Amino acid sequence: MRSVRTFVKRPPLSIGLIGAGGITHTHLPAWLELGASVTVFSQDGAAELAAKYGVSWVESLAELLANCDIVDVCTPTPTHRGYAEAALLAGKHVVCEKPIALTRADADAVAALAAEVGRQAFPAHVVRFFPEYARAKSAVEEGKIGSPAISRFSRIGEYPTWSAWFGDDHQSGGIVMDQMIHDLDIARWISGEVTDVYAVKSVSVSAAEPCVTAQVTLTHEGGALSYVSGVWGAPGTTFATSFSIAGSQGVLRHDSRTDASLRLDSGPREKGGGMRPDTSLGESPYLTQLREFANAFAGGEPPRVSLEDGARAVELAVAANESIATGASVSVVRTVAGIAA
Amino acid sequence: MSGVTSGRALRVGLMSFAHVHAATYARLLAGWPGVEVRAADPDAAFASADELRGRALAASLGVAYADSYEELLAWKPDAVIVTSENARHRPLVEAAAAAGAAVLCEKPLATTRDDAVAMQAACDAAGVTLMTAYPVRFSPAFVRLREIVEAGGLGALLGATGTNNGQIPVGERAWFTDPALSGGGALVDHIVHIADLIDALTGLRPLTVRAATNRILHADKPQVRAETGGLVTVGYEGGFVVSIDCSWSQPDSAPTWGGLTLQVVGAAGIAEIDPFAQHVGGFTELGKSGLHLGYGVDTDELLLAAFLDGARRGGQPQPDGQVGIRTLAIVLAAQESARTGLVVDVD
Repeated sequence: MRSVRTFVKRPPLSIGLIGAGGITHTHLPAWLELGASVTVFSQDGAAELAAKYGVSWVESLAELLANCDIVDVCTPTPTHRGYAEAALLAGKHVVCEKPIALTRADADAVAALAAEVGRQAFPAHVVRFFPEYARAKSAVEEGKIGSPAISRFSRIGEYPTWSAWFGDDHQSGGIVMDQMIHDLDIARWISGEVTDVYAVKSVSVSAAEPCVTAQVTLTHEGGALSYVSGVWGAPGTTFATSFSIAGSQGVLRHDSRTDASLRLDSGPREKGGGMRPDTSLGESPYLTQLREFANAFAGGEPPRVSLEDGARAVELAVAANESIATGASVSVVRTVAGIAA
Repeated sequence: MSGVTSGRALRVGLMSFAHVHAATYARLLAGWPGVEVRAADPDAAFASADELRGRALAASLGVAYADSYEELLAWKPDAVIVTSENARHRPLVEAAAAAGAAVLCEKPLATTRDDAVAMQAACDAAGVTLMTAYPVRFSPAFVRLREIVEAGGLGALLGATGTNNGQIPVGERAWFTDPALSGGGALVDHIVHIADLIDALTGLRPLTVRAATNRILHADKPQVRAETGGLVTVGYEGGFVVSIDCSWSQPDSAPTWGGLTLQVVGAAGIAEIDPFAQHVGGFTELGKSGLHLGYGVDTDELLLAAFLDGARRGGQPQPDGQVGIRTLAIVLAAQESARTGLVVDVD
């Protein structure tokens, strides 16, 4: 039977995707599923990516900006600010991969320009759109566990050897800035603003066996505590996430390994691997995320993550890296005005 | 150090029923072949009236009873288990050592470094062994983990995360929440097991400790006078890093007391143990609660077996008093860190 509901007719989404790396394989199909037309621009691999998904590609940023309304920045972190600013100056709304930048100042510059030109920019902190994290957030807001007191977040993946810039701390900010920033953001989302950051990191000394693990402890306003543990492990390490949120009235727990709806054992095969979880049994969280952003661009509700959240996550990761370097706890207390004290 | 002639029963004394583990040990020892057990709990009179202690508890456990520690030690026990309040271990360990008994002391070994060192010295002077009651070390999961690590299965070790979360120990014994007798809160209760496992696994020396604590959990319980939640980070020699969640975060009505997990990250692999995971789960309408029917190996029994074997044959059982001292040093540094907000060097 045909639906008699009337749709609010919106112009088709027109996306300019910058970059052709791993994350574009989650964003591009999601945009297409949302009915968008996509144009790709990338220093490398644009033609291959465009061919794979049957979209067009262009050879220059100017051409891209002339052919879209929304720019999705999926490039290595050091280039985020430049592309985001170019897009904003061209009057585009912006989706920017996390981390927005490697410094709070760069992130703030993007936010300031967005405000100046009257366009919206959102950071792709996609973990907020993973249903297990969204469910935990809503459970906390509903008061199901009382006041959060002690939380743990863990994220384990394979060492990203396939793209050299990830392993280069100067380009990616290392595991804390690139991987653990997801859970730093989630910890702040769940337990509130952060006042202190303490972190340690341990790196494999063997180039043949690259591996790094870091542990970050956050003190939140009001005294709640969180720790975030991240691993970039040996080749073939199975991607896994888990969390535990203990509150005054109960505990929430999730583990991607034991709470999966499908487990497959099909004999000898390539083991594990990857930097991303299997999300194939539900709507892609990347799609949920981009739909929410697109809706906001069209004048709808603000999404669940703001550019300020992304900038604050960068600040927490910077503080964690500073703590690792100095061995001391780092204060990240903000003044009421929202500017670092 | 002389062992016990085989053929006669090994005499095991239990000093104090203050700690709930005393009853666990007494029950196991009451049925242990070749063991004669006798308990003394003279401070029972100072305990809360609703706590089953002293001669009445001994009778219910089926173990003989002495009215005083002097009387117990005059019985010439070969081995003594000290299960008094955490802050009251020292005089009992010293008395047991002076009486020539091998000593097993409940964890934490003490609540001050001076006490712990003095206890070890007293045992050394008397020529008896001191063992610290860290049963998790005997878990088959940990034994296997140790074999994996020692065989190089994880490659070079980088770090670990440990959790030891439990229900808050209120109700059974009032002293647990009195810092003067317990030595503190969640930090002193739950850091030591993980610290002991790391010690056994790596042999690395802890250098720095940073701890943050709060009292959000159980804030509604007036009898609680110490931290109920804590996150502790320990930096070891060689750059090995460990973070521990030692919180009393298992809800009061949960179907099991809590648990312990340890995840070890190496350059060639990651291993995780959950020694108390072995259970049949379910739900019961009787009481309308989840069921958690553990079936794992009884690590208390393995701990006692190692202790009794040491007492019989005269060898030093592990975990010894020295690891009790080393792990206490981490607790004391964590308490100082939580108090000052600083990263503290381990003594």
